[in-house]
Amino acid sequence: MEATSKIPAHDTNCLNLYPKSQACPRPKPGESAGGCAFDGAQITLLPIADAAHLVHGPAACIANSWESRGSLSSGPRLSDYGFGTALSERDIIFGAEGKLAAGIDYIAERFAPPAIFVYATCVTALIGEDLDAVCGEATSRLGLPVIPVNSPGFIGSKNLGNRLAGEALMQYVIGRSELDDTLPPSGVNLLGEYNIAGEMWEIEKLMNRAGLSIRSRITGDGRFKEIGRAHRARVNMVVCSRALLGLAKRMEQSYGIPFFEGSFYGAKETSYSLRQMAYLLNDRDTELKVDRLVEREEARVAEELKPYRRLFKGKKAVLYTGGVKSWSVISALNELGISVVGVGTNKSTAEDVGRIVDRIGENAEFIAEGGAKRILKAVKDRKADMIIAGGRNMYVSLKERIPFVDINQERHTAYAGYDGLLRLAEQIRHALQHPVWKLAERAAPWEEAGEAYER
Amino acid sequence: MSVKRTAKPVAVNPLTIGPSLGGVLAVQGCYRATALLHGAQGCSAFSKSLLTRHFREPIAVQTSALQEMDVIFDADRNLEEALNTVIAKHRPDLITVIGTELTDVSGTDYTACVKKYIRERAPRECLIVPVTLPDFGGGSLETGYSAVVEGIIDAVIQGQSGKPPGKPLTGQVNLLPGPCLTPGDVMELREILGDFGFEVITLPDLSTSLSGHLLTGFSPLTRGGVPLDALKQMLRSRYTIAMGASMERPARRLQHAAGIPYKVIHGMHGLAAADELISFLQQLSGIPVPLRYRWQRENLLDSMLDAHFHYAGVSAVVALEPDHAQSMTAWLGEMGVKIKALVAPCETPLLKEAEQEVWIGDLDDAETLGWGADLWISNGHGRKGARRMKSAFMAAGFPVVDELGSYMSVSVGYRGAMDLVNRAGNLLIRRKEDRHEDRFHQ
Repeated sequence: MEATSKIPAHDTNCLNLYPKSQACPRPKPGESAGGCAFDGAQITLLPIADAAHLVHGPAACIANSWESRGSLSSGPRLSDYGFGTALSERDIIFGAEGKLAAGIDYIAERFAPPAIFVYATCVTALIGEDLDAVCGEATSRLGLPVIPVNSPGFIGSKNLGNRLAGEALMQYVIGRSELDDTLPPSGVNLLGEYNIAGEMWEIEKLMNRAGLSIRSRITGDGRFKEIGRAHRARVNMVVCSRALLGLAKRMEQSYGIPFFEGSFYGAKETSYSLRQMAYLLNDRDTELKVDRLVEREEARVAEELKPYRRLFKGKKAVLYTGGVKSWSVISALNELGISVVGVGTNKSTAEDVGRIVDRIGENAEFIAEGGAKRILKAVKDRKADMIIAGGRNMYVSLKERIPFVDINQERHTAYAGYDGLLRLAEQIRHALQHPVWKLAERAAPWEEAGEAYER
Repeated sequence: MSVKRTAKPVAVNPLTIGPSLGGVLAVQGCYRATALLHGAQGCSAFSKSLLTRHFREPIAVQTSALQEMDVIFDADRNLEEALNTVIAKHRPDLITVIGTELTDVSGTDYTACVKKYIRERAPRECLIVPVTLPDFGGGSLETGYSAVVEGIIDAVIQGQSGKPPGKPLTGQVNLLPGPCLTPGDVMELREILGDFGFEVITLPDLSTSLSGHLLTGFSPLTRGGVPLDALKQMLRSRYTIAMGASMERPARRLQHAAGIPYKVIHGMHGLAAADELISFLQQLSGIPVPLRYRWQRENLLDSMLDAHFHYAGVSAVVALEPDHAQSMTAWLGEMGVKIKALVAPCETPLLKEAEQEVWIGDLDDAETLGWGADLWISNGHGRKGARRMKSAFMAAGFPVVDELGSYMSVSVGYRGAMDLVNRAGNLLIRRKEDRHEDRFHQ
């Protein structure tokens, strides 16, 4: 993406591995939305299902965020538990490191987790709690990894939090549980796939059919020990998350694991990702297997999508979602025959925007900021038929009687892989054809025709 | 009887909801208003997302977006900038500036900053209310909610600056519904008061803002709730009815400022509570109880008789905000349910006087202390614990994100009590069936 483009991209130097002197753009008071760095760190680490996640801070930080994510676990459920030190006034004045240590001991004894993640918050950062020291001492006292996550909310955005969580993984987890060193490295790490609605399982099934195996899940349906062995993988795939790109680069430097960025939204992206894995594994056999699978699946999906494509002909959507998902979901929508006439670039980097342009051209409406208001305007201007976005904008859309498909972390349907694409098609059909839209258009019996809803 | 605490260094599965979120909730019941959380972005994002998911409505909240350097150098600058932006862009009638733990610890005097702002720059038609929340004293949703209501009433009184509010209106009462009342509950209460011939001013009025409107054209401000003009008329009311002990402080403000007597109704659930409300309204209005309430009372009593078999030997664990817990316990008493454990997130004067033993704790305490109870009543976070101990789970309070329409469920008045009796009764029936089934298949 050249600097001359008219499409706005956010300066996201803060996502680079080595930040330049320029700081992240400061959020604008009074019109900012989006989570904080603490939120971001939790998004990345909470899916580690067997670990305990302890929030060191005021009650609100844990209380208001607890149980709000759709990441699923196939086994252990300890990460479902909300742990917090719930600081009191006394703790603030006299320091709460003792309380934190006692809390760590308590969790270790009662729940016997393989590891404890301890999250800093604005308040503990402000009063100067030394998380590293407390965690270090606890680690040697308990013989259990106790990992500080220094990502208090006020240092930046959700994205930065994702990245700092990646740093914590690099520093304290990856490379810490040893495999038998005589065995050669094997398998693929998935970075930034959080198993929303079970997408990780979908992907894993697909990979297994092509003879590809997962080394570590980072972190959807993740296990602490397994992530500790991530350094023994042969390929890293960064799934739809720029934020963990830094982690992938670090692992390339430290362990020589090649990485690529990919997505599982849409048949083409899925095929590309599988092929890329096989290519980087440099295994002729697997490549052949992948080729066969991809051909078969693509043919099947193309056949099954036919009725949907007829239905979706001429349909237009406005897409508003996080940075990377924008371009990857566009591919999926293109395959369904839906044209994307508006797309949010509020979290996209220049590189993301470049990919978006590659997929839909520069004619679509690029929504850099403004949230709900701008989305609705784009829908009106471009006569779009639906909005595809995160839950935050769902109710705004419904009130305007615009069909809506949820694409973010709270959703309940898995869209990854070939079957996921079919599911997405079905979801969109459902959203468009639901009988409620007809009823919603109809005026109440006591209202004059045409007067309806002009309040 | 007594208030107890378990000795645990950490909260496990917290029951507490941040007081600032309670404050944001209260603001939603005012028209063309927004809450402005003075803190990091996450403080407002978490509140917004949780409230949105519970009510399934857009929520009006903004943030001063504090970052590290702002906190160190000058958080006030952010606040001013946020106020400027919100006022210039949206022209709200009411902005409530709510502090967070972050601003409280850093010790910025944002109340002074807001006062200065009001003096020097704020437009006249916009009411700006700074609210300091009781920070680490162990408050919860209820605390923040009532503090914001109190703050708004204070600001309205001050806006009057000593002028007499006008002739008192004998047919008008103020209704201050506590945070455990859903928009559906508030609607029911307003209807009941209306049936006794009263004009009602409700603060906050969630029944017109979060009950599910279909207004088009996006606005970041609240789309319903009590308008500012009506708020000013509160000072002319004849009486204030506070629903829940936590609403007594705001009611007292009105009494001090305008001499309006108030009545606190502690019980919101069950027959006795509804009796108390209705007989009070009868006295106040001097009109006989309308026929429909005579009918409703009979219906309620009949359904209690129908249901009482299924409540035989039932024990319950209740984990709710203080007022809610207290009121719910009283209702369970009516149905002969034994309380195995009563847990609240924070201590209040009401709980200190409670006859029942109360634990200040979290949902993990509810699970441990109430282990084996047949019925579990708490917010949606309790569902997993209830499943672990195989009790029937009835969602109440905030948040409940995995059930449709919980924000519109009615549990006040005779009709609400009847619904409660049947809802819990049905859960107990299903549970019994499931147990038979389990035994049969093992």
